[in-house]
Amino acid sequence: MNIVVPIKQVPDLVEELEIDGSGKDLNREWLKNKVNEFDDHALEEALLYKEANGGTVTAIALDSDDIEKALFAAAAKGADKVVKVTGDFGGAVSSHTAAKALADAIQSIGFDIVMTGVQAVDDRDGQIAGLLAGHLGAANVNVVTSVEKDADGLVIHKEYSGGVVAEFETSTPVVLGIQAAKETPRYVPVAKIRKASRGLTIDEIAASGSADAGSEVSRMFKPEGGAGAEMLGDDAEAAATKIMEILTSKGIK
Amino acid sequence: MEPTREIYRNFPDILQYAFYLIAFLACVTFIYGFYRKYKKYRKGKDANRFNNLLKRFLKAGAIMGKNSTVFKRDHYAGFAHWLIFWGFVVLLIGTAIVAIDHDFLRFLGIHLLEGSFYLWFSVILDVFGVLFILGLIMMIVRRAGGKPQFDYSRSDLDAAKYNRKGYSTDDKIFLWLLLLIGISGFVIEGLRISADGMPAFEQWSPVGWMIADLFNADTANTLHLYSWWGHAVMVMIFIAYIPYSKAMHMLIDYANLMFKDDMAAKKLARVSEEQQDISMGYVAMTDFTWKELMDFDACTKCGRCHVACPANAAGTPLSPRDVILDMRSHSNECFNTSEWFKQSFAEAKKEKPSIAGDVISTDRLWSCTTCMACVEACPVGINHHLDTIVNLRRTLVEEGDMDDMLQDALANIGDYGNSFGQSERMRAKWTSKLDFKIKDVRKEPAEFMWFVGDFASYDAGIQDLTVKVAEVMTKAGVDFGILYEGEKNSGNDIRRAGEEGLFEMMAEDNIETFSLSKFKEIFTTDPHSYNTIKNEYPEFGGNYAIYHYSGLLLRLHEEGKLKFTKKLDYKVTYHDPCYLGRYNGETEAPRKLLEAMGVELIEMPRCKENSFCCGAGGGRVWMDDSKMEERPSEIRIKEAVALGSADHFIVCCPKDYSMFSDAVKTTGNEDRMEVKDIIQLVEEAMG
Repeated sequence: MNIVVPIKQVPDLVEELEIDGSGKDLNREWLKNKVNEFDDHALEEALLYKEANGGTVTAIALDSDDIEKALFAAAAKGADKVVKVTGDFGGAVSSHTAAKALADAIQSIGFDIVMTGVQAVDDRDGQIAGLLAGHLGAANVNVVTSVEKDADGLVIHKEYSGGVVAEFETSTPVVLGIQAAKETPRYVPVAKIRKASRGLTIDEIAASGSADAGSEVSRMFKPEGGAGAEMLGDDAEAAATKIMEILTSKGIK
Repeated sequence: MEPTREIYRNFPDILQYAFYLIAFLACVTFIYGFYRKYKKYRKGKDANRFNNLLKRFLKAGAIMGKNSTVFKRDHYAGFAHWLIFWGFVVLLIGTAIVAIDHDFLRFLGIHLLEGSFYLWFSVILDVFGVLFILGLIMMIVRRAGGKPQFDYSRSDLDAAKYNRKGYSTDDKIFLWLLLLIGISGFVIEGLRISADGMPAFEQWSPVGWMIADLFNADTANTLHLYSWWGHAVMVMIFIAYIPYSKAMHMLIDYANLMFKDDMAAKKLARVSEEQQDISMGYVAMTDFTWKELMDFDACTKCGRCHVACPANAAGTPLSPRDVILDMRSHSNECFNTSEWFKQSFAEAKKEKPSIAGDVISTDRLWSCTTCMACVEACPVGINHHLDTIVNLRRTLVEEGDMDDMLQDALANIGDYGNSFGQSERMRAKWTSKLDFKIKDVRKEPAEFMWFVGDFASYDAGIQDLTVKVAEVMTKAGVDFGILYEGEKNSGNDIRRAGEEGLFEMMAEDNIETFSLSKFKEIFTTDPHSYNTIKNEYPEFGGNYAIYHYSGLLLRLHEEGKLKFTKKLDYKVTYHDPCYLGRYNGETEAPRKLLEAMGVELIEMPRCKENSFCCGAGGGRVWMDDSKMEERPSEIRIKEAVALGSADHFIVCCPKDYSMFSDAVKTTGNEDRMEVKDIIQLVEEAMG
């Protein structure tokens, strides 16, 4: 089985986010990137599958800031091949654009299973897996929590709301949107990443055609305080004093 | 009649030849045993221990001569061992003189053992023979007392799963064989004197003379031959037994003390290029250095490390003694070296057991707090308990076999330079509580660069103490600055958790930031950072003069810059942080400070180099401790409360403050003991 895992970098929420001058995107100048957590789980599930059943794992990503770091880490974890799709992918890339570029590249590599994160913190639309499946003419299951091999194909667990799990059987090719891997994504020691970055070449595939962006952000902003809420500010002591005042005024002593 | 004695008294020639044959066989067995060990050590990697050979030889000789490491904290054992040691050495020299005199000098027409030389020889050997026997009896009595360190029970397995009777058999054989050799030596001396008709000069052998008195000459004459052979055979068995039993410590441990590395544990070894191609950690017995292999043989199972270990006291499956003994068993299996008295296991071992995981289980490896108590306690120079554990942890880290919390902490440090997973830009947020601005040494020069450390910077429960340090230093007129978001985790505990690559990254990043900053000296609030910056950064090109804040505060006080105007009326006990006291020998500065502030210091039984770990070191602070029977910090608080009179528990390490503040609550001692950082007392004493 050839498993392809599309991954991407997303803004690290440890830093405070700022909106840029256009009001339609984040200020990316000081942004810190990290691998999308769901993609990390997709890679882990792919590696677990490979370790149990054999096959190869290819990590693929659109060219963007710090993407080499993420690809080296994927190789250090055990991906057999890492691929970068080159093209103009600076700033926010819509799911439609990303899916078209990735699908073309994945098609040229060849695949049996695609596992990718079911969603990402920076787009929240969860469309990538579905769009890829459409482009690639493959089956699609999302919100997957387990992928196992079976005599006829794959057995897939999908998580429903309310703690219910459904089991699917599918043949390949298939595109899976991974919610969580069976195990916590593995830690990859720095020495392994350093070693991987020395001996590894990142294959490059140029993006071919372009695609309709699908949707466009017309305005980006932080939640605005409404009449129903009173913000108490950042200072803990002042906020505590204020809380005491409010409680006292409501008759709680 | 000239005072002397006849060698091989009443021996037919054939028996003399038989004796030489037996002696030859015993010596061959002895030499072969040590030759096999030599071959084993040759298979280990190089350890660079052949510098200053004469100095090493004399230093180890002095430790041996005084038995100082055995005396340490156990005067009874030290004294008994001293008696046995010197008794054995003098009797060995005496026997050697007899052999040289009879087997070599005789043919040159020289005879030493006559006249006054013989008389002095007799009395000296009798005296040391008595001391030898006395020492052995003291040890037999001590063993019968059932001290906890003589309990060979494993900490990780049920009694049904292993058998260590071989170990106690070896102990008994060693003691009783020596005792019987000593006693039988006196018996044959007495019988000879009696059979010779009690010549008056033999009163110079007082013990022999008293025994001679018990026999008539004829009986003595018959018994002498038998008892001589009994004595001789036991001696020959003993010689042959030495390399295959605990008796090997008599020779191996001299070498082990001589070649020991005084920086072991304090400064861990880097991973060589060729090792990195295989694994970051040790995977095969040939990955160990020859000195590490020798360490495993050097153990006498005295159990001092076993009872000193906080992980063992907390009920985890780890015991440093068992790590050494299991590694010994495994190395003997791998290198096919004989061990006559060994442990066995009920379950058959895997065909190719992994060292990290099968020989030493992952649970045991992750239980170590790297407090170094085992290294400090060892009387025979074994100091690679901790290095071995770290080298095996490196293998586990490479395989990703670790606690989820540790994994998160390491990932956070990799991403943000701190274990809290907070932004670098939040590192100096605590400074907003100050009414002055601290210099940024990356931008403006200062005399001191303060390396604050992760806990002091990010932990909400510690930040108030950090603020106090800044205030006190400022009041004392210290010109200092910090690195703000430029500081990263020092890496001390990352390295000891086995993440060598991340440690190197942190060390290199910090050293680069240091080199771009302007300061003369460093002080730090964190003993862990103190250790790695002082002992490990030099290997990465960073050489700095560094103070722990207690040392700097004392210097300021002695220079008159830090004045105590208010005498403090507390009764305190002081807890030495492992990385300050045991690792770096700094036990006096905090005590002198406490004295200067006028508090009454009541010492806990385990103090200074023998301090008992809080349980947070070596990455343990990032791991789950819920499976412990009792946390080391709780054991420690109970030790302090048991003093009865102390009401303050003084610390000078942010992790200590956090661990012990919790422990007074969980042990229900909040109203009996208050945990305070030394900076809180200093601030109060300044008035």
